Amino acid sequence: MLQPETARLLTEGQMLVKSSDVGNTQEEPGLSEAEEGNPFNFTPQLLRLHRDHQLFEDGDIHRHMYLQDLYVSETDDKTTLSVSEFACHISGCSAVFSTLEEYEHHYNSLHRHVCCSCRRSLPSARLLDIHIQEWHDSLFTILAQRQDMYQCLVEGCGQKFRTSQHRKQHLIKVHKYPPDFRFDKTKKDRGETKRPQQKDTSMEVAESVCESEGVCEVMCDVLSDQPEHGESMETHVSEEEAARTATSAITEDHANLSAAAHSAENTSSQPLKPQYSYRVPTNVCFGHGSVRGFRGRRGRRK
Amino acid sequence: MWRLNKVRHKAGRQADSLEELRLKRRQQEKDLRQARRDRQLVSKRLLLNEDEDQSEVTMDADSGAQHVVTLFHKLQHSGPEKEVHLKALSKALRDPSAQLTFIKQENSMHLLVGLLTGSNATCRLQAVRCLHELSHSPHTNIAPACLPATPYLLTYLSNQSTKFTELCLYTLGNLCPESDVVQEKLLAQGIIPALANCIENQRHNLAVVEAAGFTLSQLLQAKDGGGKIIPMVLASSLPSHLLSVLTPDQNFGLAPAIECAWCLHYLTCSMQDNRVLLAHGALSRCSSTLMSLGGAVAEGNKEEGMELLICPLLRCVGNLLSSCPVEDLSSQVADVSIVVTLCALLQAYMQTQTALARESAWVLNNLTAHSSAFCSALLTFNLVPGLIQLLPFSQGINIMILRVLANIAHKKKEYCVQLTHTGLLSGLCATLKMADKDIVTLSMDVLFMLVVSSPQVAEEFVRHGGLSLLETLQYNREGDIRRRASYLLENHLLPYSS
Repeated sequence: MLQPETARLLTEGQMLVKSSDVGNTQEEPGLSEAEEGNPFNFTPQLLRLHRDHQLFEDGDIHRHMYLQDLYVSETDDKTTLSVSEFACHISGCSAVFSTLEEYEHHYNSLHRHVCCSCRRSLPSARLLDIHIQEWHDSLFTILAQRQDMYQCLVEGCGQKFRTSQHRKQHLIKVHKYPPDFRFDKTKKDRGETKRPQQKDTSMEVAESVCESEGVCEVMCDVLSDQPEHGESMETHVSEEEAARTATSAITEDHANLSAAAHSAENTSSQPLKPQYSYRVPTNVCFGHGSVRGFRGRRGRRK
Repeated sequence: MWRLNKVRHKAGRQADSLEELRLKRRQQEKDLRQARRDRQLVSKRLLLNEDEDQSEVTMDADSGAQHVVTLFHKLQHSGPEKEVHLKALSKALRDPSAQLTFIKQENSMHLLVGLLTGSNATCRLQAVRCLHELSHSPHTNIAPACLPATPYLLTYLSNQSTKFTELCLYTLGNLCPESDVVQEKLLAQGIIPALANCIENQRHNLAVVEAAGFTLSQLLQAKDGGGKIIPMVLASSLPSHLLSVLTPDQNFGLAPAIECAWCLHYLTCSMQDNRVLLAHGALSRCSSTLMSLGGAVAEGNKEEGMELLICPLLRCVGNLLSSCPVEDLSSQVADVSIVVTLCALLQAYMQTQTALARESAWVLNNLTAHSSAFCSALLTFNLVPGLIQLLPFSQGINIMILRVLANIAHKKKEYCVQLTHTGLLSGLCATLKMADKDIVTLSMDVLFMLVVSSPQVAEEFVRHGGLSLLETLQYNREGDIRRRASYLLENHLLPYSS
């Protein structure tokens, strides 16, 4: 981490930045030459501002107003303070908020419980777990052929069913759920269209956006390049295909291994009740907010 | 301050409603901003007679121009009524089109110069008043026409008559920014030594000092980029005189100090070496003046127009600090409690003059960049919580405050721990969610320094929900931010992730 001794001109507004070589003491927390790949590079800098610098504009104007007899004492013209906006960080989501609360609500609603494989946003950790298990866990598919694996969605119920149809009937009959409950779609035939553009994502986030417009819409909505299948079409991923999916998933996982700590856990099947941080495989992006979602909503219920 | 009184007086008398005035002022402010963007920000001053008002209704343009011609003819031929005609002429020359007409008359300037240098003292005064009106003209071809008078104006600077000297000075000050040609001539005619002598010899006469300060500030704003003018000024005795005027006078007010402070600002922000000024004790002088002003502000004693003086002082201190070697810092800025002043200014002006708050924060950055003493002072005087409260505010405020906090954290691990005790972590958890990527990146840099300083800090960050925050940041659209988040999670927060 070398800083030049001489002043160097920054592009913005003729500011001279002189970062003289600070004597590095042992205690210095910022010291990082020894560590490889350390992206932190803050050094204290003296900022020398040229006469025409942007920072000086308001003060100059005030001075000249005074010279031209336009001076007003401050009580006459109160300026409104400008507060920083908050913004959703997730690549592809361009939502901006004026308060922290709004930001938190947005994030919690749309990005917190997102499946990285298919980028669907689920409203709770539990439903996300169930989703991942039922849609992306090949072991589940195998086990489901022999035992009751489909959990009731209602927390505390604990019952399990052989097929998702059975579960759905249970939800409608016992728990009075609507027949078109949005978080109980069956898995569509994804085939080769699953997981678009995953290859280059080690830590680079994929460019494409997915739907996560509203909390409830996402589950039933498919990505635009996939046709929507009717609910009755029960798609059982064959064992073969599941195996293929699993191996390709594993190879992808390996191929895109970044230095993230929890990558180790994802090479084989996921545990049935994973911790939150493991739910996010290293190679995939978080949920994306579609720009479309903030414009035309395609007439769907909120 | 004499200017302020005039303005208020004017506002009261005019028929314009307050709202119209405000609109007018807003428009003028817009024009000034545009002028600054075009590097054409130039102002002139008109010295009014005590009994008059600038908005006095004058004759309409046509009759004004005709009147001037008539007066000119009369002046060419008359004897004892010269004084009367001259006075009338000076009034008539308030009008811009009359100014043009006058200049176009053959030998008009020659006549005026003759009266300026003649044996009649009253005529001299009226003649200089005419020149002053001409110098204030918005037309660009008038100033070069006034050049024949300038050697005499400069000579008269050593004159003892206050009004006369003021008029000479303001006239010269108005002519300065006009063109390179004018500046060249003035330099050659010795304007710099003349100004130096003037201030030195009339140090007691604050109206003259103010006028001289104004004139010098006009000269220093010249676009020659400090090529000739600034080195000449630095080599003269002007710097020490300017510094001596900085303390405002109780009775006369802030005006002379304001002019001299702006001169010092133009000197310090030029690309020239500031060693000469440092040798004169400029940093020491400016910072102590700033402290006494800041003390008054903190006590709620905000004299009107005080920010007009505080602003250039802040800039001088800021830029001088960037030229001052660290070893000399403690001798130049002896009192570490200047940090208290700066934080007080920050708080006091946040609402009303955000630019001043921003500049105060900038000075704090330069103070804390390479000096542990000032960093430690910020902690000792318990100023950090106040700074953290300003982190929501944009337009250069929060980014600069984050720099200051980063400067502190960078010095010692102990400071990091102390910073954590002030509640900085929750402040960072908010700034890390802001839209501006520079703020997020800088916040991460601060966070990094805090987290690596001690395991307690890391634990506390985790308690604040830091892990999920960082996990989110791993998916940020900016690569710099993603890398930082991952690095922190992988290398320093592993024991805490579930």
